[in-house]
Amino acid sequence: MERLRRPSTYLTALACVAAGLAPLVMNDLTFLMRMVMAAIVVTGLSLLMGYAGQASLGQGAFVAAGALTVALGTTRLDLPPLVALLAAPVVAGVFAALVGLPLLRLQGHYLAFGTLALLLMVQAAMSTFDFLGGAFGISGIPPFGIGDSIFVGQLPYVYLALGCLAVVLMLTHRLVHSRFGRGVQAFAGSETAAESAGVPVMRSKVVIFSLSAMYAGLAGALSTFFTPYVSADSFPAVESFTYVIMAVVGGLGTVWGGVVGAVLVSVLLQVLNTVSSQPGLPPTAGPIMQYATYGALLVLALLFMPRGIVPTVDGGFDRLARRRVEARAGVSST
Amino acid sequence: MRELVAYLVSGIALGSSFALIGSGFVVVHRVTRVVNFAQGSLAVVGGMVSATLLDGVLPHGLGELAAVLICGGLGLVVGLLAIGRRGTPPLISLIVTLGVSMLISAAIIWLWGQDPVSPPGLAGSTAVLGATVETQRLLVVGATLLAFVALTLFFTRSYVGKALTASASNPFAARMVGIDVRRMGLLAFALAGMLGGLAGVLVAPTNAVSFYSDLPLALSGFAAAVFGGLTSPLRTLLGGLGLGIAGQLTAGYLNGSYQTEVALALMLVIMIARSSTFVHEEAK
Repeated sequence: MERLRRPSTYLTALACVAAGLAPLVMNDLTFLMRMVMAAIVVTGLSLLMGYAGQASLGQGAFVAAGALTVALGTTRLDLPPLVALLAAPVVAGVFAALVGLPLLRLQGHYLAFGTLALLLMVQAAMSTFDFLGGAFGISGIPPFGIGDSIFVGQLPYVYLALGCLAVVLMLTHRLVHSRFGRGVQAFAGSETAAESAGVPVMRSKVVIFSLSAMYAGLAGALSTFFTPYVSADSFPAVESFTYVIMAVVGGLGTVWGGVVGAVLVSVLLQVLNTVSSQPGLPPTAGPIMQYATYGALLVLALLFMPRGIVPTVDGGFDRLARRRVEARAGVSST
Repeated sequence: MRELVAYLVSGIALGSSFALIGSGFVVVHRVTRVVNFAQGSLAVVGGMVSATLLDGVLPHGLGELAAVLICGGLGLVVGLLAIGRRGTPPLISLIVTLGVSMLISAAIIWLWGQDPVSPPGLAGSTAVLGATVETQRLLVVGATLLAFVALTLFFTRSYVGKALTASASNPFAARMVGIDVRRMGLLAFALAGMLGGLAGVLVAPTNAVSFYSDLPLALSGFAAAVFGGLTSPLRTLLGGLGLGIAGQLTAGYLNGSYQTEVALALMLVIMIARSSTFVHEEAK
């Protein structure tokens, strides 16, 4: 009975129903698709920032790795789309492990700048080398399909992405509540204490970083099937910063924080886009509002709600429930 | 041979500007353990403000000085937001400065538009060892060397500089002897703002700056600072010069478009190669 009163069970069911219905009632499926992909990326980033204590400012590098795997795999190697989709997270994860092994040993912000440098290098390599797209990008990517059934229109892609998001969330939930996850939560509190209790801190950090890159690679693969064109301009640095903003707004180190942050920030940006494209406003109104909102969101969220929305609201519910229980106990005792 | 000299000279000129921005990272990180992501934006603001002031408001010299001071004030504001709240962990401070740099970008587009801006600098070019270099670039080298000498003297000789170093090496002991560590942190942010502004004022005449230049400027400066482990001004200077020369040599002998990759790859290699040393240094 007490278990049912916790809001998360209802909320999870509600979120599933909303996610299942949204593609049917919304006109702008491109917006929805981008939001779901951002949610996949941010779920991983939130784990990394919450537990490993380091941020990645270049998560786009791993989105690009996934996207390139699909683009090159299907056009050059003639891989079946399903194989390319499954290979994308693996490639991104291995890529991240190679970079993360040395960088995660450093305290401070080396990972943040290292990943940002990685993103800019990936961009530069994509625009310089012709086999990675060069100046024209890679086009001619076939639509997704399994065997002879091939996806037509936008709707199946949105459901595929939602399915992937569900898998990612379940995996994250299992991970956080596993033995490994408890170890990770322990070193997020104190590395020295966790290490002396036998938690392999370094290895766990690399695993988390790799996992967050796998999520990003999966999102990149999905986006490449949805928009069958990849070039160096597909992964601007600002987008990687947006992932950080979404993670911070939603709440670091929570299962649902990434989704909540992605939905809130995406909707807010969509509203701002509509407002700034009103007639009568100067053409610079769009970028000004975008940058100002990003900056203000980050600064205000961090200074006034440093734990993010999900933990804050969750804590509020807990306090409310406890107060109700205490009140009832007080009534019955008198 | 003459080619090589030309690449070396232009590399040193380019590297000085990296080092100057890198020194801002070093000053803040030394004292507060925070990486100030807004360092690149401060340089852009420096270039923009000096362009506006020199356009008939103030004469040369005063205009540049005013721009540097304004950037110092802006640096202080960044510091207040980043470390003003007690107990903000360095990771959160880094993301706050990322947010502030976005706010600064919005302000730059609002005040100066999206096009690159370039203030007037020294005109003409000078021959150095048979290679022709723009005079403004020589000014950058001179000013950078001066700034680094001043910085080193400030940290080792002056009372405030010693207090800054004390807060950096052992905040607890510094507090014990009556040093306000938080105020020292804010002072470091203001100093870094001035250094960033100086870099912008000097670089903008030859490389026009726009709201878009903050990221490349910040990254090249950070790359230089990585050579110094984010704490040593002297090694930051050497790192900046090394990066500049390596970049120019790549552009000259291989291909201009590889320049970014080489600079960034060098930075990653240095971070990875020195990772064990850094861990050792931070454990102290």
